[in-house]
Amino acid sequence: MATETGPEPTGDAAAAIGLGDPRRLLRGSLGVAGFLVVWYVVSLGSPAYVVPSPLAVAGAFGSELASGDMTTALYRSVRHWIPGTVAGTALGVGAGVALGWSRLLDDLTAPLVRTLRPVPPLALIGFAIAWFGINDWGAAFIIAVGAFWINFYAAYGAVEDVSDDLLDVGRTLGVRGDLDAVRSIVLPASTPGIMTGIRTGLGRCWMLVVASEIFGVPGVGREIIRASNNLRVDQAIAYILVLSLLYLLVDVAFRAVERRVLVWRA
Amino acid sequence: MAGLNRSGADDEGMAGSPPPAAASVALDAVGKRYAADGDGDPVRALEHVSFSVADGEFVCLVGPSGCGKTTLFRVVAGLTEATNGRVLLDGTEVTEPTTDMGVVFQEYHLFPWLTVAENVGFGLERTDRSSAERERRVDEMLDLVGLTEFRDAYPKSLSGGMKQRVAIARALAVDPDLLLMDEPFGAVDAQTREMLQRELLDVWASTGKTVLFVTHDVAEAVALADRIVVMAADPGRVREVVDVDVDRPRERGDAAFAEYVGVVRELIGAGP
Repeated sequence: MATETGPEPTGDAAAAIGLGDPRRLLRGSLGVAGFLVVWYVVSLGSPAYVVPSPLAVAGAFGSELASGDMTTALYRSVRHWIPGTVAGTALGVGAGVALGWSRLLDDLTAPLVRTLRPVPPLALIGFAIAWFGINDWGAAFIIAVGAFWINFYAAYGAVEDVSDDLLDVGRTLGVRGDLDAVRSIVLPASTPGIMTGIRTGLGRCWMLVVASEIFGVPGVGREIIRASNNLRVDQAIAYILVLSLLYLLVDVAFRAVERRVLVWRA
Repeated sequence: MAGLNRSGADDEGMAGSPPPAAASVALDAVGKRYAADGDGDPVRALEHVSFSVADGEFVCLVGPSGCGKTTLFRVVAGLTEATNGRVLLDGTEVTEPTTDMGVVFQEYHLFPWLTVAENVGFGLERTDRSSAERERRVDEMLDLVGLTEFRDAYPKSLSGGMKQRVAIARALAVDPDLLLMDEPFGAVDAQTREMLQRELLDVWASTGKTVLFVTHDVAEAVALADRIVVMAADPGRVREVVDVDVDRPRERGDAAFAEYVGVVRELIGAGP
């Protein structure tokens, strides 16, 4: 057992979406091509408001992009996606670490946490409107609630799993008190779990963008709902594709960051 | 068996007589009981364990499995509280972990997110040394265990033997009075183990540290120790203390070496 000889993680964004491996890339392309063919064939026998052809969707995508509607919708969504995600993630990680570490805080809050946990973010739309109004803050609130729970449980679990042995070693090396232990051992040891939570949360927040715009806040989700109401399924799919692309972009970027932060991990 | 200097546990002040003044570590009638599951009597993990380790001495602790070696290690380290008795380090009672004691665990327990140099410097961060002094001390320690060229590596890329060297350097960096080790070479292959044993003796010789070394490997104890504390199980207690009167470096092939191994094995194998 000399130095590790495992495969090095290919640390670039290309690998994350399968571009690192030519065979995987080829198979992926074949899969997409096959899907498009099936979609096209099905669309031939269906009216456009049921199944529009892939060409119609591409056309809708192009015209929405060209008119500037798409970028505007995107910009509006990002305006509540960012604050909602950042606030929900920060509060979720903070609460998860605190309750995962402190038995006292955990006992104090357990009944409250278990009561609030099953509430779906969408059930809080009324509160979002009452507290923040039909605006970015209201939508950000819905997104933040979703991000909060994912990050809360990921951080809580990661802190619970920190090995007692490392904490013992720390004590023999002069670690004293909760703050020192959390800062110098608990946080770094639970970073992998916390990062996984953040990454899951980022995806979930994109889904919640659509939900959070149901009550009238403008953005990509609103455009999807509007297009569906007008039976413009081609436009609806075009906006759904935008969400997918953005999610992919954010996910690839986050994975690159994660690999850098967790360079120490086996 | 003539010529082997053995002293029974009874000579070691079992009845709570004051520990010798020059002792670096002194255990005074240490006992540990755990509540049993159900209605049974509490488990007596340790009972009346008394012995001491003199300044600069190398003492090994051996015994059959279940004799409470690891419990005793944790009590000495201040990680587990004794039910009775006390542990003194340079005359001060140990009630919690102290940086006057460098502790090395069997499974290394390096901090995986820190480089080799950062692991070694972990304890130094909590002292009042300047950063230049800390850096110098880390370099010194890495040199001592021969890992200078791995200073920026992460633990994941090190072999078991290298990880244990880092753990030893980390424990020694804060310049403790005592090096306390729990089966530190138990997780590496036999060849690496003997190399690490030789290195540890070199480190011991060059630093003059007091060492208390827990092991289940009798040959290891004979190779290393000035004295061997042999424990018995049920309840965990000191059976006998054996002086190893063989000049270093010790050769495993020597008759005296084999004789000591035989004596200690016999002591361990004897019934309760």
